[in-house]
Amino acid sequence: MWRPSGVDRSTLAFIGLVVLSLVLVTVDLRASGEGIGGTLRDGVQTAFTPVQEGVGFVTRPVVAFFEGISDLVGIRDENRRLRLQVTDLERQLAETESLQRRVAELEEILAIEPPGELDTVAARVLATGPSDFDAIRLIDKGRSDGITIDMPVIDEGGLVGRVVSVTETSARVRLITDPTMRVAVRVERTGETGILTGRGGGLLQLEMFNTNAALIAGDLLVTADGRFPAGIPVARVTEDAEAEVGFSLITRAAPEAELSRVDYVKVLLFTSDQTGSLEGSEDDPAQPPLETTTTTTTAGTGTEPGSTTSP
Amino acid sequence: MKWRRTAVAVALVILGVALQTTLFVRLRPFEASPALALLVTLAVSRHLGRVPALLVGFCTGLLLDLLSETALGLWALVLTTVAFATVRLRHRFEDDVTLLIPGVFLLSFIGLALYALLGTIFGAQTLADAQVVRKMLLPAVYNTILAPLVLPPITRLIGPQGGGRPGWDR
Repeated sequence: MWRPSGVDRSTLAFIGLVVLSLVLVTVDLRASGEGIGGTLRDGVQTAFTPVQEGVGFVTRPVVAFFEGISDLVGIRDENRRLRLQVTDLERQLAETESLQRRVAELEEILAIEPPGELDTVAARVLATGPSDFDAIRLIDKGRSDGITIDMPVIDEGGLVGRVVSVTETSARVRLITDPTMRVAVRVERTGETGILTGRGGGLLQLEMFNTNAALIAGDLLVTADGRFPAGIPVARVTEDAEAEVGFSLITRAAPEAELSRVDYVKVLLFTSDQTGSLEGSEDDPAQPPLETTTTTTTAGTGTEPGSTTSP
Repeated sequence: MKWRRTAVAVALVILGVALQTTLFVRLRPFEASPALALLVTLAVSRHLGRVPALLVGFCTGLLLDLLSETALGLWALVLTTVAFATVRLRHRFEDDVTLLIPGVFLLSFIGLALYALLGTIFGAQTLADAQVVRKMLLPAVYNTILAPLVLPPITRLIGPQGGGRPGWDR
């Protein structure tokens, strides 16, 4: 075989593989993840899932051991904090029960149908993305359990992310911390809306539409996005923010879901057309007509994986 | 014999990828995890023939691409480059073992930096990540810490460097 003098076989092989990689990237990007790339991904993921399940089963005790060690640190403070939280929650529960009674009475008076309940599928997180740059989790439920692309995923805290690809037995979930994820949210205290954008991990960036609406640390942000049921807790504002005249109002918010240690999740069997007219892509989350959403959901993972329940 | 070494290398790579994606779901000190697949590619490339080492790097990368949502070929390009750099530098590592640990750190860091750069070029917004430096630095540090645990067993399993047949090993 001809080769330029002075260039050894491994250098030629390297150049060839680099060119092949670039061709693959170009073809895959042009196909937008569909076509041969999509088929290959589905096939490889289906074949690799049992390997990941097996390795996960073997390594789970090791992980639990190290987690146990790290949990020992600060367990007393955690205990004290939880006692305070229980007291606070008991008070809130009493208030909520009272409110629910009033809402039921008012609905009866106004003859309003109560919002429908969403079915959910509880799933276990099997694997993570191949690098820290991939804010992806693989779950052990797929198409055969009724999961389709774009369905929202929650844990006991709030929104975890959304399904981006599905095989028969597994699905990949993109976390809300991914820089390509944008979620329209509403500040529960004021009703003002804005956009939350992932920053790769840790805190999210919140940009408000109304720059005159001040934000207070601790404000809860809930979904107000056509792709998700309204009212799912997403994040909590971490810094007070007030816009200067003519500038946008931007601050940071911490995800409500325990994203760094997510183990079990619930997939809400919800598609954006359930909200009526809402539509949107990841880069353009639907923003306005929150009123059209007729579903409510309660975050929580009190069910065993594999069961289909209504929250 | 060569095929046995390559088969063992492939098995090690699959194990590395499986561990990378499952072990670190919850076990993430400082919100980061080692780049185990990269470390195994590096370790295997020290011992295989030059061309097989490149092919193993490419296939490992392709497997990572297929298990992620990034464009197909990104990891393949990165790990082929890591394998090529390892193949070029391995004689220096053999001559001076003290270079091996800094070498692991440097190659891991460069590999992740290359991935971040390519990811941004091809639309994955990796450089928009607020923790991009940490996500390159910490896995490289973890790889350096894990290197003494990972490299010797792989050396024992695949054998010393120089296994490639003349045509393949030049």
